[in-house]
Order: sequence, then C-alpha cells, then structure tokens
Amino acid sequence: MESVRRLTQAYSLAPWRKQLQVIVFFLLILVLFALVAGIYLNVSARAVTLGHEIQNLQNDIEDYERSIADLETQLALLRSTSAMEERASDMGFRPAGPDDITYLSVPGYLGRQEAVLAPPPGPSAVGATVISPAYTESLIDWLKDTVFYPSGLLSEVMP
Amino acid sequence: MRVTGENTSLWRYRTLSVIFASVALLIIAQIIRIQVSPQAEVFRQQGDIYAGEWRLVEPARGMIYDRWGHVLASNKTVYEIGVELKDVRNPETIALTLMGVLKADYNEIFAAASRDYSEDLESPSVYAVLARNVTVEQKERIESLMEDLENQNYKPDKDKPAPSLRGLVFHPHLVRTYPENELASNIIGFVNSEGNGFGVEKKFNDLLAGAPERVWVPLDPNRVEETQKVPDGASLVLTIDREIQTAMEEVLDEALQDTGADGGSIIVMDPESGEVLAMATTPRIDLNDFGNYSEVFPPSTPFNRAVSQSYEPGSVFKVLTMAAGLDSGAVTPGTTFIDTGVFEIGGVYIYNWNSGAWGQQDMLGCMQHSLNVCLAWVASELGADRFYSYMQAFGFGHLTGIEMAGEDPGRLKLPGDYDWYDADLGTNAFGQGISVTPLQMAAAISSVANDGKMMAPHIVRSLINNDRQYNTTPQIVGTPITSETARTLSEMLAISLETESSDALVEGYRVSGKTGTAEIPTPYGYTSNQTNASFVGWGPVEDAKFLVYVWLEKPETSIWGSVVAAPVFREAVERLVILMNIPPDGVRQDLGQAFNP
Repeated sequence: MESVRRLTQAYSLAPWRKQLQVIVFFLLILVLFALVAGIYLNVSARAVTLGHEIQNLQNDIEDYERSIADLETQLALLRSTSAMEERASDMGFRPAGPDDITYLSVPGYLGRQEAVLAPPPGPSAVGATVISPAYTESLIDWLKDTVFYPSGLLSEVMP
Repeated sequence: MRVTGENTSLWRYRTLSVIFASVALLIIAQIIRIQVSPQAEVFRQQGDIYAGEWRLVEPARGMIYDRWGHVLASNKTVYEIGVELKDVRNPETIALTLMGVLKADYNEIFAAASRDYSEDLESPSVYAVLARNVTVEQKERIESLMEDLENQNYKPDKDKPAPSLRGLVFHPHLVRTYPENELASNIIGFVNSEGNGFGVEKKFNDLLAGAPERVWVPLDPNRVEETQKVPDGASLVLTIDREIQTAMEEVLDEALQDTGADGGSIIVMDPESGEVLAMATTPRIDLNDFGNYSEVFPPSTPFNRAVSQSYEPGSVFKVLTMAAGLDSGAVTPGTTFIDTGVFEIGGVYIYNWNSGAWGQQDMLGCMQHSLNVCLAWVASELGADRFYSYMQAFGFGHLTGIEMAGEDPGRLKLPGDYDWYDADLGTNAFGQGISVTPLQMAAAISSVANDGKMMAPHIVRSLINNDRQYNTTPQIVGTPITSETARTLSEMLAISLETESSDALVEGYRVSGKTGTAEIPTPYGYTSNQTNASFVGWGPVEDAKFLVYVWLEKPETSIWGSVVAAPVFREAVERLVILMNIPPDGVRQDLGQAFNP
C-alpha cells in the first residue's frame, strides 16, 4: 500500500499545476467564446452595413425612377408643340406653304416611321448570359466544371 | 502559512467564480423570463413596428404618346407633406408657413400639427398628413425656411416656444402631367381620384395605372430583403399625329370664331387603316387643371362631341343612301329622276332644301344639288328592308368600338320599332330622323373612300407592356359596298364638287365630298332656324389617304354646310397634305411613284 501511495504521490500533479490547468482551460474557453463572439459581431456588423447600403440603394432606385420621370416630362415640355413653335418662330422660321415645298422621289426612302419605343413581343432570353458564371457559381461548381468539363478552359487558349 | 495562503487564494477564486457565474445565470434567467413573460408579446409587437412596414406601392402610370413618340401624358414628382408628431416644436409656425407657401387653411394645419403624440398600439398617433400634391418648388421653399429657422438662435421663452418647422417631413410620389396642356385633351381625357374620367385615360385606366401591390419594406437592416418590384403601368401609343391634331384644333377654333358656331368637331381618318389621325372638338380643357371641368363643360356638354354626341347629320348622309342605291342596283349613275319638288312617302311630303323642283336629274345631279326628293325616291326604290340592311352594315345604331370612354351608339330606327313609320325611310335617306355621332359618319363613309372596305376606327396604335410593344392590327368591320360602287360614287362626288366649284376644292388635289345641312329638331318638330352644318370629304380620289369630317353646330353666319363647313374642309386639307407629305396630283403623276406619306 505504501508503494502505491508513493507512486500516486510521485505521478500526481502539484496543486499549483492543477490550478494552472483550470485557469488555462477557462481562458481557452473564454478566448474561444470571444473569438466566436468577435466573428459573429463582425459578420453581423457587415451584414447590417450591407443592409443599410441595400436600403440606401433601393431608395436611390426610387429617387432615380422619379428623377427619370421628371426629366422625361421636362424634355416633353421643351419639345411640346407650343414650345417648338415658339422656338422656331424666334429663329425666324414660319410654317411652310404649298409653294415652299419641292417633292423629290428618293429611292429606298420609306418615309417617316412610326414610334417604336420597345422591342416587339418575343422570347425574353435577352441578357440571360450577360453575367459571367464566375460571379454566380460556387467553388464546388467551378471545380466540378473544371474537372469534368475542361474544354472550357482549353478553349480559352485555343487560337 | 503556505497552505493557509493557498486555501485563501482558492477561496477567493471560488467566490469570484460563484459571483460571475451567478451574474451570468441571472442574465440568462432574465433573458428567459423576458422571453416567456406576458409582456413578451408587447415587446415583440414594438419590435415589429421598427422591423419594417407594409407599404402600398402604386406603380408609375404608363405614358401616352402620339404616333411619332411625342409625349402626350407623363408623370412628375410631387410631395405629400406631413408631420412626425413626436418632433413637432411649434405647430403655429408650421401652420403659418404652409398657409403662406401653399395657401392652405391655417386652422386645419394647426389642428393636425397639434395632435398629441401616442404610440398606443390600438390607436397610434405618430404622423399627420398636412398637404398633398406639393410641387418641387414649394417643397424647396419650405425646406429653405426650415433651414433658416434652424440656423437662427432664438432665446428660449417659457410662454412662447421658439419658431420651428421641426417635425415636417416630405414624401415624394408621382402624379399625372400633360405637357401639351389642352392639345388633344378630348381624346386623352383624365381620371380623378375617385376613378371617374373620360377619354383614353379612363378607357385604359386599369392598364395605365397598373396593379398597386402591398409590399413588405424591412426597416431593420438585419432583415433586409429584396423589395418586390411592382411593374409600371402599360404605356400607349396613339394613332394621333400631334402636328395634325394641332392644325385641326387651330382650324376648328378659327371656324367657330368666323361662323359663330356653338361648337364643332373635325375628324381626320386614314380610310385604309381606320386610324384616327386627329379629332378636334370643342370645348377643350387644360388637363393639368381638370378640377375646373364643370366650368368648362356645363351640364349636357359632352367631353368629346365627336364620339359622345349624336345628332341628325343631314345631307352628308346622302352619300350612304346613294351608295346603297348604286350597290344594290336600284339605281345607276345614269338613272334619271324627274324632280317635281315634292315626294310623298308614308303620308309625309318631302321637299328639297330650297323647296324647288329641279326637273330631270341623273344621280350625279341629285348628289350635286343635294336633292332630298331624289334621295327619298332612291330609298323608296331600295325598299325599307334593303335600305336599313345597308345602314346597319355601315354600323349605325352600334358603337364603333373606338377605345375611348363615353361613346354614344346613336339611334337607327328600324322597321318594327315602336316609333318607326314609313315616312322615316324617306327622311332617313337625307339624314333626318336618324341619330349618329360624327365618328360613326366618318367610319361609315370611309368605306366609300376605301374601295368598299369599312375599317374599325381606332385611336390606339400600340400598347407597351413589360418592355414589349404590341401593335394593333387594322380590323375590317365589313364590306358594305363593292369596290366598284365605292369608286363610282367617289368619282360622282368629285365631279359634283368640281361642277359646283365648291368652296371645298383644294388646289392641286382632286377630292370627293358632300355637304350637309341638317335642321335641328325641337320638342315641337323642326321649328328652329338653327342647323348642323357638315362636310365630309376625302382624297386624293384615286388613292385616298385621308378622310376629313367637319361638323359645326348652330353656325350663325350662314345655316348652309356649303357656305360654312366646306371652306373649313378646304382649310383643313390644305394644311393636312403638307403635314402628311402628300404631293399634289400633278407632282405625284410626274414622279410616277406610289407615295407612303
């Protein structure tokens, strides 16, 4: 029994070592907690900042849309019939009479074309590939494409 | 001593640990208690108030353009002015300022700005609207005053608060505006806040306005998500040509001034497509100020006479009677008729416009001299069934379907109707006893100008929705007469004008046309001396590019269409051919090319 006690005493840690272990363990947890909290705060702060930016950008979009509408209206006012007539008159123009006009036949001229303010109805695939996949695909997608379909990379160096 | 010291340190560590742990546990316990407490729901509701809001997003109203893309109706920014009641310092300053800048009612503003602030969830009082539709200039003036007041240091006074505009907020939004003011106002129309209105704006209100949607707008940056985009309203491209519309309105205004007529209309149509190129009517209103509608349009005055006011057209209707007669074979251009000055039908005697007897006339002579007796005879030769069958084919008694609100179908009495008599066949033949709108007349007669094909009159050329332009396709309503009949009648009416040396003739251009003078019925019959004077004409005769319908209501200088309406047609066409780039007949033949004006 004595020998057992001696062995136990010989291999047991000194009390100050035990305290140190406890303190280090506690500090480790504290550091880990601080690290997680720090990362969380950092990510949250960045998310909030981006959220604010998105809100500002959405407000900007609304402002720009109103601004575009105002500018279109201002342009329409400047090009209104009365404004154009006044400007033409100030510049010395007058309405053309029958005697002022000479008619010419211009081959290929189709005459004045009516307003085309938007494309005609059709498949709406325009712009579908405008954004490069590099901005949208994940790292795994990229690796998969690179490993299994390397022709894309090869095509870049082909003449 | 050493052992004692170690024990003391251990005791201290343990005590500190217990204290820290207790504090941490207390915090956690408090967090849990708050989460499950009865007040938690209140806190959540308060949090939700600041997390975001449901906002009704009104899409931007679609634009309206003329056929060349000139803007006829657009949108501009105005502001709603309100107060955040929590921030208000001096309601008196706010009321005085808005009274000065906006001419608003002082008492109303003061009362609204003086309301007590309350965050009570049941009946919150945090914001009050003070003024709407405030222009950019007015808003900037108020902002400037706000800045001035903020920069001035007023001494605090217990009895009287310092002047301040704190609490005022400005919320921008778009409203309708019309850059051309009165131009084409009767076509474009308007829609008021109750959704009532006129013209294209009313007819296409649902499309133009788009679909308002309630969207969640997060205010908490942690909960930001993409705001749902509400599509703008659809835009419209009209068939109207702004320059032609301007010219026709000028011609009409001059005509009213010269003739003293009560009102009038000029319609310009492309007979090949049914497109309305211009539709000038009176009175007109500055659409930017449609609030004074009731002053401009007294009761019973239609917003657009051309589509909403039916009347007895008079002799212009003879074009259609003759068209029916020729097409059915009841008469030919060479058929002769001996005009004795009177024709009895259904017990009623029909007389000519001058009560005279014109002797032997062929059909050209009947049209040239506008003989009521002759045309009543033609109708009787046709018979009621065939006559009214043709008139129905010409679209009378039905809406034309033009894309404008408030169209009047007119009235075509038919055999079998309670108020139809045999005599009506005779009077209808020369345009009396029948009720039509100017647009119905223009559409019907356009079939004569367009080789017998009658096109549906329309005023919308394209619709732009979701960034795509959808063009309308001209629709053939029917072919009431053959192309041979149409060409024969066009030629007869051209010769008729040339023989008469009509005031409607346009130098350099061969046109067909017909005058009309209609007595205006009263409750006691045709007892009034007032008339409706009309002229319908089209040209160039060989390949008509335009049809012009002129109607003057109750002219004073002369009652006759040939005197007051025919010159208006000439004036209109003289300007029209320049604006449509239609060369004179001689030039066109010399160049030997088909033009596409």
